[in-house]
Amino acid sequence: MDNLSTFINRSVSRRKFLAGVGAGAGAVAALNLAGCSSSPAKTTTTSAPTDADVLNFALNLEYLEAQFYLYAATGSGLEASDTTAGSASPYQTVGTVTLGDAAAVPGLTPAQQEILNEIAYEEQEHVRFLRSALGAAAVPMPDIDLSFFGPLAVAATITTAATGAGSFNPFSSFDYFLVGGFIFEDVGVTAYSGAASLISPAGVAAGYLTAAAGILAVEAYHAGYIRTSLTGRAIAAGSAAAYPYLAAANLVEDLRATLSVGDGAAPSTTGSVETLLTLPPDTTPASSTTASSIVAASPTTAVGFARTVNQVLHIVYGSATVGASSGGFFPSGMNSIFATTTA
Amino acid sequence: MANQETQVLDEIIAANRRKMLTLGVASLAGLAVAGLGVPLAKAATSYTDSDILNFALNLEYLEANFYYLAAFGTTIDVANAASTAAGALQITLSGTVGTAGSVTGGSQVPFTTIPVASYAIEVAVEEGKHVQLLLSALGSSAVAQPAINLGTSFQTLATAAGIPGGAAFSPYASDDDFLVGAYVFEDVGVTAYHGAASLLTVPANLVTAAGILAVEAYHAGLIRTTINYLDPTGASIGGYTNLISTLRASLSMAGLLGVAPGPYDANPDDYGLADFSVSLAGAANVTATRLTDADPTNVIAFARNTTQVLNIVTGGGAVNGTTQVSPAVGVFFPAGMNAGPNGFK
Repeated sequence: MDNLSTFINRSVSRRKFLAGVGAGAGAVAALNLAGCSSSPAKTTTTSAPTDADVLNFALNLEYLEAQFYLYAATGSGLEASDTTAGSASPYQTVGTVTLGDAAAVPGLTPAQQEILNEIAYEEQEHVRFLRSALGAAAVPMPDIDLSFFGPLAVAATITTAATGAGSFNPFSSFDYFLVGGFIFEDVGVTAYSGAASLISPAGVAAGYLTAAAGILAVEAYHAGYIRTSLTGRAIAAGSAAAYPYLAAANLVEDLRATLSVGDGAAPSTTGSVETLLTLPPDTTPASSTTASSIVAASPTTAVGFARTVNQVLHIVYGSATVGASSGGFFPSGMNSIFATTTA
Repeated sequence: MANQETQVLDEIIAANRRKMLTLGVASLAGLAVAGLGVPLAKAATSYTDSDILNFALNLEYLEANFYYLAAFGTTIDVANAASTAAGALQITLSGTVGTAGSVTGGSQVPFTTIPVASYAIEVAVEEGKHVQLLLSALGSSAVAQPAINLGTSFQTLATAAGIPGGAAFSPYASDDDFLVGAYVFEDVGVTAYHGAASLLTVPANLVTAAGILAVEAYHAGLIRTTINYLDPTGASIGGYTNLISTLRASLSMAGLLGVAPGPYDANPDDYGLADFSVSLAGAANVTATRLTDADPTNVIAFARNTTQVLNIVTGGGAVNGTTQVSPAVGVFFPAGMNAGPNGFK
């Protein structure tokens, strides 16, 4: 049987993946593996973004999160009426979802099912809220590729040793799902943190900042849930080896760091805005002196991280290349003035 | 004079933001315009970023001391073997504005499970860093640590919430009881930073506040997830969360002083872990947990203004009918919070 790690070595190296489209044929091959098709570069603008631009950037991310969680919880995605274009939006084509393995996660306990239902509902309502706030300016759902988890796992070097038999599939079990959710949640938190200061004084007065901060908090609740579950299940399993999903999540963090820091020519984690999960040692609890790592935040000030729109795009496009305008979870790019990375 | 004009402008902005917050931050552009025409009761008072950050510092003193005591058995200003081993900061209480007080009550929890012990240590370390950060940022403007009651205050609140055996409740007795104690604080921290965000005028302060808001929400998610895992049916500590949230919502609504909550601040503005029914991908009546404390319609976390927060942490000390009481005194803050001349207390 074909082993995933040999597959990685044979067909696509992590380095080439990280190099992205700008670096040549190898990288293009990697992105094609991700199910991407070439698409015209989105136009960029050098003028200051409007509040609608900022909210629409968030809406693109919420479309992605909502589709992931809804499929995981129910096997169905957003209702068509939640994906349409606002009448004044320059983007009028409603995208499609490439499903890949997307399906309701099997084998959930009732308690686990209710948790998936909650997160799916909350992301669905974020889509609806942003669409409502934007009104005619709301962008439609862009093309979304939920089959990108496989190539992403390859790029992160999540091997069969980390996740058991078969390729990485976040829709195949509760533990795989947690790692899948992990890909998004800290990013959502940092994206809203980064976007908060882009909102204009008029937007602050209009309540946009309060809304964004409130969604930021919800994303952090979700991130807290995902990280607590991964950590708690690893503790219950007794060791990192007995619960490889913790290590898999940390590989995702490593990949996010290399994607969003610097250019693909020199992958680096310097300046990373990631906090790796840790497994507290199995000691007598009352004498334990080891902290968990549930919170992703600065180690010196315990203030949560922020990411720029470019850093967020590098992650969801699966490309560190400056100038990338599509890829990864967004095979045709975001419907956003920010769609092309500029740094 | 440009400086004077700028200052006047700042005051107008600050006053309007405060008015909006009092109204529950009514949404969208039209309302902001309408707000300009509303006579402002406190238009002469200017709130600076320092006033707002000092309000946050009072709350961080409270939270940090609770977690330090639970995790290490010591207050934030005194190091011991446990706090040192965990790498927790020993805080020099450098704030001098207002009246310094002492911390009463609290003791190290005899943890029996690794997750809860390690979570307590993590949160303690992080809340300590928040105190240190705010003290550093505020410098000579920082308020002193006020008197803080972390003992009998929990019994008062537990009784008011209707928790069985509340008169003898101690958050330091067991892993479960600690989680209930932590639950009292975390969602409140989220709402307080959320409410403060739009009051801040210095962009760097907003970024920092947003970052701390995120951390408080991570903590809240951690606590709610763990309680839900230990008591998924709500028979014990899961059920207590509903009682506590109901009490907090009641105190918070009183803090609105008769003004109707805005669109992002529905009544109630707090939910425990009890399941709720949602419509999902077109299917109605799907059961969901409530690991997120947010408005069920827009799923935006709640924001509270300073009076609402004060009324919660003082157990109703900030409100008398439809009149604000200042300083608010009671429960966790037996002598009230510390603030500068125009600050919130």
